[in-house]
Amino acid sequence: MNRRGWRFLRGRHPRRRAARTVPVGSRSPLLFLFLAIPVAYLLALVAFPVAYNVLMSLQDVNLGNIADLLRPFAGLDNYRAVMADPEFRKVFLNSLMFVGSNVVAQVGIGLAVALFFSQRFPWSQGLRGLLLAAWMLPALVVGALWKWLFATEYGVVNFVLIGLRLVPAPIHWLSDPSLSLASVTIANIWFGTPFSMILLSAAVAGIPLEPYEAAALDGAGPLQRFRYITLPALRPALLAVACLVTIYTMRAFDLIFAMTGGGPLDSSNVLPLFSYQFTFQQFSFGIGAAIGSFAFVIVFGVALLYVSTLKREATE
Amino acid sequence: MLSRCLLAVAGLLCALARPAAADPKPVTLWHVFNLETDMIYGGIKGFNESQSDYRIDARLVPANQLNAELIKAIATGSVPDLVTLDNPVVASFSAQGTLTDLSDRVAKSAVVKPDVYFKGPWASGLWKGHIFAVPRDANTLALCYNADMFRTKGLDPAKPPQTWSELVSAAKTLTDPGKNVYGFGFSAMQAEEGVFQWLPFLYQAGGSIQHLDAPEARESLQLLVDFVKNGWASRDVINERQYEVTNTFMAGNSAMVLCGPWELPRLQKDAKFDWRLALLPVKDGKDIHASSLGGYDWVIPKGATDSDGAFKFIEFMSNPKILNEGWKTGRLAPRSDVVVENPLWPQAYAIYREQLQTARARGPHPQWPDLSRAMQIAEQEAITGARPIGDALADAAKKIQPILAKTPL
Repeated sequence: MNRRGWRFLRGRHPRRRAARTVPVGSRSPLLFLFLAIPVAYLLALVAFPVAYNVLMSLQDVNLGNIADLLRPFAGLDNYRAVMADPEFRKVFLNSLMFVGSNVVAQVGIGLAVALFFSQRFPWSQGLRGLLLAAWMLPALVVGALWKWLFATEYGVVNFVLIGLRLVPAPIHWLSDPSLSLASVTIANIWFGTPFSMILLSAAVAGIPLEPYEAAALDGAGPLQRFRYITLPALRPALLAVACLVTIYTMRAFDLIFAMTGGGPLDSSNVLPLFSYQFTFQQFSFGIGAAIGSFAFVIVFGVALLYVSTLKREATE
Repeated sequence: MLSRCLLAVAGLLCALARPAAADPKPVTLWHVFNLETDMIYGGIKGFNESQSDYRIDARLVPANQLNAELIKAIATGSVPDLVTLDNPVVASFSAQGTLTDLSDRVAKSAVVKPDVYFKGPWASGLWKGHIFAVPRDANTLALCYNADMFRTKGLDPAKPPQTWSELVSAAKTLTDPGKNVYGFGFSAMQAEEGVFQWLPFLYQAGGSIQHLDAPEARESLQLLVDFVKNGWASRDVINERQYEVTNTFMAGNSAMVLCGPWELPRLQKDAKFDWRLALLPVKDGKDIHASSLGGYDWVIPKGATDSDGAFKFIEFMSNPKILNEGWKTGRLAPRSDVVVENPLWPQAYAIYREQLQTARARGPHPQWPDLSRAMQIAEQEAITGARPIGDALADAAKKIQPILAKTPL
C-alpha cells in the first residue's frame, strides 16, 4: 500500500530512519532536555486545564470563591444536576448528531471534491485553492453570513427555493426548533469540507497510477476501480481525517453562537456552547465544568482512536 | 564624538523630564463602547488632561464578552480598576463580594449624590443597603415606527398606537406579505435581550416576575404569541437580536419595532425614510405605562490596584456636563439634573426621557441570570408553540419561585 500521499499527516519521513542506527549508549543528557520541553508543555497547557476543569466540576464554585483553588467540595452534585436537566440530554444528543452528520458529510463531500480536482482540467489546481477560502474565514463571520442566507424573509436560500418553486412557502431555517440543528449543520459542513478536501487531495495524489492502468486493461469500470483501488489506498487517510473532523466539530462554538446562540429552545445547542452559557451567562461554574467534562471524555476517546490509527498504520 | 552627543541629548531630555513630577498612576478601565462619539472618549481625554495624578488606560471589550473577561480576571486575581457592567448582572457580582463597596466614597462625594439619580438605575447598584455601582447611563425601550408606511396604509403617522388593541390593529394593517413587510418586530431571542423586550408587556398587563403563573403574565405572552401566530410579526423574532430587529426595520421589513435609544445613530445613518418614536402602548383598561430599564454601571472590582483613581474617574464621568454628551450616541443620563438643551433627534429625546420615568430595573437579584433563563425558555416555548402558554409559564414560575423565596426581588 502506498503511503506517500498521507505521510504528511504523521510527519514521518523515511530518511529519518537512519537515526535509529545510533547506539543507545551514545544518547546525551541533552536528549532528555528535548524530551522535557514537550512534556512540560503538555503538563502546563493540556494536563493542568483538564485537571482544573475536573476539580471545578466537583466543587461548589461561585463568583466569590472562583479565585481560590480550594472551594467547597460538592462531590458529584454538579454531574447529578446536569444529568437531571432535560435540556442537557437534548444538547448531548444534538452534539452527537451534529458531529456525526458533519463527519459523514465532510469526509464524503471532501473525498468527492478531492477526486474531482484530481482529474486533469484547466484551472483545477487554482480552483481547488480557492475552495479553501471558505475555511480561512473566521467562524463568527461564517455564522453571520449563514444567518443572513437562512433568514426567513430576506434570505437568499428561501429566495432561490421559492423562485425555483421547490418549496411553496418560506422555510424557517433558524427559527423552527425542528430545523435549526440541520441548518447549523449545513453551515458547518460548508465551512469544514475544504479542510477534509485538501487533506484527502494530497492522499489521492499519492496513489500510484500503475494499478489503475492494470485494472483498466483487465476491464474494471470506474466504479470498480474506485471500490478496489482508490478506497483501500485512501483508507488510512480517511480514518485520520474522520478523527480530525470529529475533534474539530466537537468543539464547534463560534459558528453556532453567531447563527442561533443555541436556540430556539436549545434545539441547535451543542456541548461547548452550553458549557459556555452556564459558565459565563448563568455564572454556574461547577455545572459548566461538568458539561465540559462530558465533552472532554468524547473528544479524548476520539483522540485515542486517532493516535492508535496512526500507530497501527506506522507499524504495518 | 557621536556617542558624546547622544549622551548630552539624553542628559538634556532627562533634565527636561524631571520637573514634570511623578508619572501619573495608570488606572485600567474596561468598557464596551465602540462608537467614537461616545462620551467615554471625551471623558477619558478630559480626565487625563485635567489632572496629573492618574492616567486612564482604556481597553475596549466587546459587550458580549465583558462578563467572561471579568470572570477570568477575577479567577486569576488580576482585575482592572474600573469596569462598565450591564446593570442586571451587577447584583450577581456584588452579592458574591467581588466588587468594592463604594458607600463611604459616595457619602463623601460632591458629584455622585444618590438623590439626584433616577430610582431604577440607582437601585441596580445596591445590594443589602450598600452601594456597589454608580450608573453611567440609562436606556429603555420605545416604539419606533415607519411613518411612510403609516401613510401608505392609510394610518395617521401623527397618531401612533397608544394601546395594545391599537398596536394590534396597526400591525395587522401594516403587514404586507407581498412586500415582505411585517407590522411589528421585537426580539424574543433565547438571551437576556428577549426578556428585556418581553418585560414591558408583562408590566403593562399588571403582571410581575414573582407571579408568572398569574393571568396577567399569560395575557402579556399571549399578545406576543398572537403577533407571530397571525403573521403580523416574523417567526424569526425568536432568533433575532435587538440590533437585528432594528435591521429589519431599517430594511423596510418591519413597520414598527421595539427599539432602544442606542440605535438612533444607526437609524439616522441608514433608515432612508420618515421614522419616528412613540411611547410604548398601554394595555386597554389597565393604563399602566411601563418599560424595561437598561444601561451600564461603573463598578470597581475588589482587588483593584487603584480604586481611588477609579472613583475619581467615576465622579468625572458623572458630571452633568459630561453626561450631557451621552445623548450623541443615544445614551440617556441616569440623573434627573441633566437635561440636554437642543438635543439631537429632539422628538426621540422627548419620548425616551418620558419613557424612562416608567422604566423598571431588572432585579437587582444575584440570580437574575437564572430568573432570566426561566423566562427565556417560557417565551420561546410559547412562541414556537412547543408548549401551551399556560404550561410554559407554570414551569417558569416553578423554577423562579424557589429562587425568590430564598432571596426576594
